[in-house]
Amino acid sequence: MKPPRADMALECRGLNHWFGPKRVLADITLKVRRGQFLGLVGPSGCGKSTLLRAIVGTHLPCEGQVVVYRRGAGGEGMVVAGPGRDRGIVYQQYSLFPFLTAQQNVAVGLMLDQTSLPFRCFRYFKWRQLRKAHLRQAAEFLERLKLGDAMRLYPHQMSGGMCQRVAIAQALIMAPEIILLDEPFGALDEAMREELQRMLLTLYAENTRAWQRGQLPPHTLVIVTHEINEAIYVGDRVAGLSQYWDWKKAGHDKFPGATIVYDKPAPVFEPDTPRDFEILTSQRREIRHAVFDPAACQDREEHVTYWREMGESGGEAGPA
Amino acid sequence: MIRRPIQPVTALCLGILSVLLLLSGYAWLSHRQHATNPNDTTIPNWSQLKQGVVSIWRADRRGERWLVEDAKASGLRFFLGLGLGLAGSVLLGMLMGCFTPLEAFFYPPLSLLAKVPATAALAVFFVMAGTGTNMYVAMIAFGVLPTLTLTVCLAVKEFPEELQYKAATLGASHGEIIFPIIFSYVLPKLLDAVRLVIGPALVYLIAAEMVVGEVGFGYRIRLQSHRVNMAVVYPYIALLAAFGFGMDYALRWLQRVLCPWFEKFRG
Repeated sequence: MKPPRADMALECRGLNHWFGPKRVLADITLKVRRGQFLGLVGPSGCGKSTLLRAIVGTHLPCEGQVVVYRRGAGGEGMVVAGPGRDRGIVYQQYSLFPFLTAQQNVAVGLMLDQTSLPFRCFRYFKWRQLRKAHLRQAAEFLERLKLGDAMRLYPHQMSGGMCQRVAIAQALIMAPEIILLDEPFGALDEAMREELQRMLLTLYAENTRAWQRGQLPPHTLVIVTHEINEAIYVGDRVAGLSQYWDWKKAGHDKFPGATIVYDKPAPVFEPDTPRDFEILTSQRREIRHAVFDPAACQDREEHVTYWREMGESGGEAGPA
Repeated sequence: MIRRPIQPVTALCLGILSVLLLLSGYAWLSHRQHATNPNDTTIPNWSQLKQGVVSIWRADRRGERWLVEDAKASGLRFFLGLGLGLAGSVLLGMLMGCFTPLEAFFYPPLSLLAKVPATAALAVFFVMAGTGTNMYVAMIAFGVLPTLTLTVCLAVKEFPEELQYKAATLGASHGEIIFPIIFSYVLPKLLDAVRLVIGPALVYLIAAEMVVGEVGFGYRIRLQSHRVNMAVVYPYIALLAAFGFGMDYALRWLQRVLCPWFEKFRG
């Protein structure tokens, strides 16, 4: 199903990054529409995590800007200058605070966002009331993600899959403009990985329902993964970051860093239907060739056709 | 065989057995000593020890109970010194762990001072703070501060960067990342570190009281040792051991209550 035209959530404008003489990212231009689930794949060491860090704001790019757009028509764009509550992040490790239970981990964002330290110290009774409301809200969220039984467990008492689900709940409860997942299921076994992928598809189904009602979709997501199947299965769009591209043809004398060499729509799956590997195979083969094959070395624009295929110009879709 | 776990009851029985062996060894030594010299006071027998305990509890000619007076004086010096040292080291250690310029500034002198035993610098504390309570407090506070500060600083640096970024994406300000986020992470390690400095803090206190004290545990032990009145010295040593053990137990209990995640986390 083609998502209806909606506003932009994220834009990377000509990002370049280097570490000393080593060039890592070259002219990354990427726009993510609200409600989109973008799977970002790439070979090891191509700079996926560097790009994600630039978006989170923990390691700003040497050149270029990351802009996050606020919800609503004509939403205002904010240039990323550091980490902020408009971008949620889920890491593969250290996703949760070890000293908080699952429920407290989900509620902590509400506490940090809605109250200040002086408020918690000097208006203690008011804070306690608010705290109860936060914990109630967190409990509802965990119930929704089928984690009702794990509410009072600490992260070390939960399985890796449960921890990641709580981490996603922790990010979701803040209703950020965009949620970034950095290899979130990399350390999980196959069964748990599939379960969590289905959970993400459930979130995508919520977006679809919102589109059908003519509302803004609630969740926008970028998932960085080295698993091509995962990117195609979970995302409605797959982008490939790679160092294997014809940079000489683009006029560079020396290697300028990895860039986006693949950007195409991906099939949308329903959470309850089994994975159809037949559908995945042809796109998987194409991505493997365009992104992961050192011998391919193609023109960077050859497989970057997402906006053309959607019949729109990426530059016109969002606010300037 | 190596590290094979044992039943809790077995562990308890072995612990009791070791204490019984210690007491039996003492009783045998005392008996042997009294067989050659019935008036010996270097290894008092049980009845002499009982008299010693009575004498430290009974009011003396001035109407003062030694134990009460000494406990009041030593307790005040110890808790004030440890409290000040702890407050200073938490503040400094947290700031050093969070802000690299502060770490660069404070780390060299602190790592040097951490190697100097406070007892060796006793004369410096006499000169700087006289011989009153201030001297004991300063000695304990400065004695424990370098080690505790460095421990807190290292614990803060162990806080995963990812969690710091995560807190920021959840809306935490810089101050809130330090407190309560990093502080909660560091707290159980801080309590462990305090447990470890109780012993050295007691050494500083007793050593200083032995040299310049007019009241206190160290003063009483020195006085009674000169008189070879070991029936008083041994109960004082036992009380010090019980105090140290009690403090350690209290801190472990506090750690279990305040940081229930840590014990299980540590396994």
